[in-house]
Amino acid sequence: MSTPPPADSGTTSSEPNVASASPVAAAPAARKEAPPEKPSDARRRSRIIFSFWLIVLLLGLPIWWKTTTIYRADLPLQEMLDWSDGKACRPVFPLRISIRAGALQEQEAQNLLRLTQHALDDLNDFSGHHLRLQLAPPSATASHDPDSVLTIRLAPGDATTAAFDPHEPILDITYPPNAVPSHTASSSPLATYVAGQLRSAFAEEQATISYLLSTNSIPSDHRPQGLAPDVAQSLAKRTTRSLRYAPTYHLTLSLFASGSLPSSWDIERAIADYMKPVLDVLSPIHNFTIDTQVQLYATPGVQSQVLNKEDLSSFINAAEWPLSPSIGGAPTINFVIFVGNQTIAAPGPDADPSRSWLIPQWGAVYLLPLPADTAHVGAATLKQPLLTFTSHLLALTGAPRSGSLPLRLSTLARIRSADLLLRASSTLGSLARLALALPSISIPPRVADGVATTIAHLRLACDSLGTPDGLRHARVAEAEAERAFFEKSMVGQLYFPDEHKIAVYLPLLGPVAVPLIMGLLNEVKAWRRRRKEKADEAKEKKSE
Amino acid sequence: MRLSGLFALPALLAATLAAAEHTSNWAVLVCTSRFWFNYRHLANVLSIYRTVKRLGIPDSQIILMLPDDMACNPRNAFPGTVYSNADRAVDLYGDNIEVDYRGYEVTVENFIRLLTDRVGDEMPRSKRLLTDERSNILVYMTGHGGNEFLKFQDAEEIGAFDLADAFEQMWEKKRYHEILFMIDTCQANTMYSKLYSPNIVATGSSELDQSSYSHHADNDIGVAVIDRYTYYNLEFLETEVRDTSSKKTLGDLFDSYSYEKIHSNAGVRYDLFRGGAEAARKRLVTDFFGNVQNVEVDGARNSTALEEELLSLSRTIAALHKKADEEEAAAEAERRAKGAKQTPAGPGSKGAAGPFVKPLTEENWLTKKLLGAAAVAGCTLLWGLGSFLEGSGK
Repeated sequence: MSTPPPADSGTTSSEPNVASASPVAAAPAARKEAPPEKPSDARRRSRIIFSFWLIVLLLGLPIWWKTTTIYRADLPLQEMLDWSDGKACRPVFPLRISIRAGALQEQEAQNLLRLTQHALDDLNDFSGHHLRLQLAPPSATASHDPDSVLTIRLAPGDATTAAFDPHEPILDITYPPNAVPSHTASSSPLATYVAGQLRSAFAEEQATISYLLSTNSIPSDHRPQGLAPDVAQSLAKRTTRSLRYAPTYHLTLSLFASGSLPSSWDIERAIADYMKPVLDVLSPIHNFTIDTQVQLYATPGVQSQVLNKEDLSSFINAAEWPLSPSIGGAPTINFVIFVGNQTIAAPGPDADPSRSWLIPQWGAVYLLPLPADTAHVGAATLKQPLLTFTSHLLALTGAPRSGSLPLRLSTLARIRSADLLLRASSTLGSLARLALALPSISIPPRVADGVATTIAHLRLACDSLGTPDGLRHARVAEAEAERAFFEKSMVGQLYFPDEHKIAVYLPLLGPVAVPLIMGLLNEVKAWRRRRKEKADEAKEKKSE
Repeated sequence: MRLSGLFALPALLAATLAAAEHTSNWAVLVCTSRFWFNYRHLANVLSIYRTVKRLGIPDSQIILMLPDDMACNPRNAFPGTVYSNADRAVDLYGDNIEVDYRGYEVTVENFIRLLTDRVGDEMPRSKRLLTDERSNILVYMTGHGGNEFLKFQDAEEIGAFDLADAFEQMWEKKRYHEILFMIDTCQANTMYSKLYSPNIVATGSSELDQSSYSHHADNDIGVAVIDRYTYYNLEFLETEVRDTSSKKTLGDLFDSYSYEKIHSNAGVRYDLFRGGAEAARKRLVTDFFGNVQNVEVDGARNSTALEEELLSLSRTIAALHKKADEEEAAAEAERRAKGAKQTPAGPGSKGAAGPFVKPLTEENWLTKKLLGAAAVAGCTLLWGLGSFLEGSGK
């Protein structure tokens, strides 16, 4: 206490007690008072209290602040939301199609190109997917020009015919000599015919991309109108079926036998013969790893002889068949051959029963009937199952169903890049909304880096959609966006109730705070009293 | 219309697009208490595990969290087994069980990491919830709970807010289609009261300030073996949902709860679900407890020719690609051969090792080195100063 106890009523009343309790001590008549406090002591005490407060305020508070604040890196939230709302990028696929018309004059060819382009533009109702024609330089070699998606080879012939080259993205069109439009013609049946062919070749791709855009909150003015409900439904079915994009897929081929035979199969040769070519063709888009297994005495989930459609989804005996996904990072596609004599119920009385079915996003099953004593399954027997699996694989990767194979593959690459672009954008949006909604989640700098990389690659991908570079950038963007969203350190218990905070802080701060605050209060009191005394003294002096 | 002609899928039967749009089913089954006297909680979880497995969800899509190992507990009179009924008819442990998170791995952090998939590269795929926007998830939790919390082990607890935020993060990242959240603890219904993400049906065993009771004890095991709420859920699933073709709905399941049976007021929350109570009650039980997919049956084999054509085409195209690649490689080799004369060091070996060998961390390399150097210099300086002062003091 800063002042010696004044001789107030409290002290006086206690004196009789002291006297009665110990008369010996009371013998020296007056109680000895503590010596008055020296002003230097009072000053020192003030300094001590002051320095304690200084430490608390200048050291304690900043340390507490620094150690309890959550690090939140700056994210370009608005930009991220723009991406997910489709405002930052308008996905446009300018597809270049070169026309090679060796037999035509330069002028005629130009004219035909202009008319066809007009006809195409009239047919097109979706501005995001744009076919642009160009004349191939006459000096170029006969093969396909890698910069354009499709080459049209025009050649004079007897009638107007169109045929896709099976090996390369080339459309061969023949025309009768009189079909070449004259210089002044404003329309030409040949141009309309070419435009119609092109349109039907790209119709599925267009529909798929516009479906992707429409399911991903892209504003409606970028979207084509009037996707027929049945088309939309079949597209929905197809996107449901296909696996989500991964650079590598793991294929597991399993042979399940209900008895002890067959116990071996010539799967390596069968894969090399019947599956590898398609895998090779898909290699610019996906990589594949393969493993195989043979399991004997396998009981299917459904035992009945004839399987109905409802039975098929429970045919796989998930509890007992070892079909666990691969340990690595790649998603697994399962292809199961079951050797047994079960059949699938035919849809109609005269329809043949089918042997295989596809399980969306999982794989396919093939029922293979074999003579009971077959011990070894040769490659030739595996041909049919593997061919079926191959076509299922294309379906599972999301390849379109129509068109020539080269065109289907390039379409797959474009669909996948659009898909990845939209996915990465929506992940950015999720991250931005999350950062806004959960103010107590920490955002480490790596997330900000990931977001920056994602946006940079998205920008590049958006500018180069429809080219191989577009897929590459979209792939990087998607991987980076995923990494940023799933940043490992962005977790922990985010919500602490106030009771918890009090329970943590009170036992620590309570005992420390009481002497500090009391000291400060007393100091302030003493200071005010001193000021008052001084003022009184000054008043007395004045009045004297 | 021309388009519809293109999309008519001749190889497929006209499969109607059913209302259930999910393509995969996942189950997250969590027990949060350890120690022998909590035997019933592990039995609860294991019996649900058996049920979802029986209805076709593969082990790779079931995440099972068991904080203790009752089967190998020294106090277990029937070593290696766990029973959820005094008749001991079904050994829940069996020889085909895959526990994903065991013992001290069962923590709040790991649970939230699992839901939000914020895990490191070292986490195997079997321990991750690899769901997407077409996955239905059953989340079943049991343990000791209180008002808006659920105790994990004896050390920590998860709050209703944390759970709600975790689900919201899942929704934001499109990690589920629909969720059925079931919880069997004391005051369980408070646990789902804070959820705010769409498409969740939640049900719990007891209201605020209500306990959740055990069903019966096994005198030989010496502890209670199952909780009432789980017991009656199981009873429904065992008797009414015999296989995946069952048409029983969630509404039927929820209607089977009664105070007489459970001895507490089981709750259901529909308001988050798209379509509200009506739509939620119409969902099949197997949409969450089973694994039912919309398979696509192929047509009879008449498309062989098509596939063979595809095969031969692929062969030719692959050969063409290979040829192009070889030409490119040859050109590259030629260029390199020219270049090699000037630069004998071959970058090839480094390039090959590149993707596989990676330093643990390469960020802030310089800063770290500088810091280390500064620390060493500082220590030296201090030592020098000390010895100098010592010397001058003499």
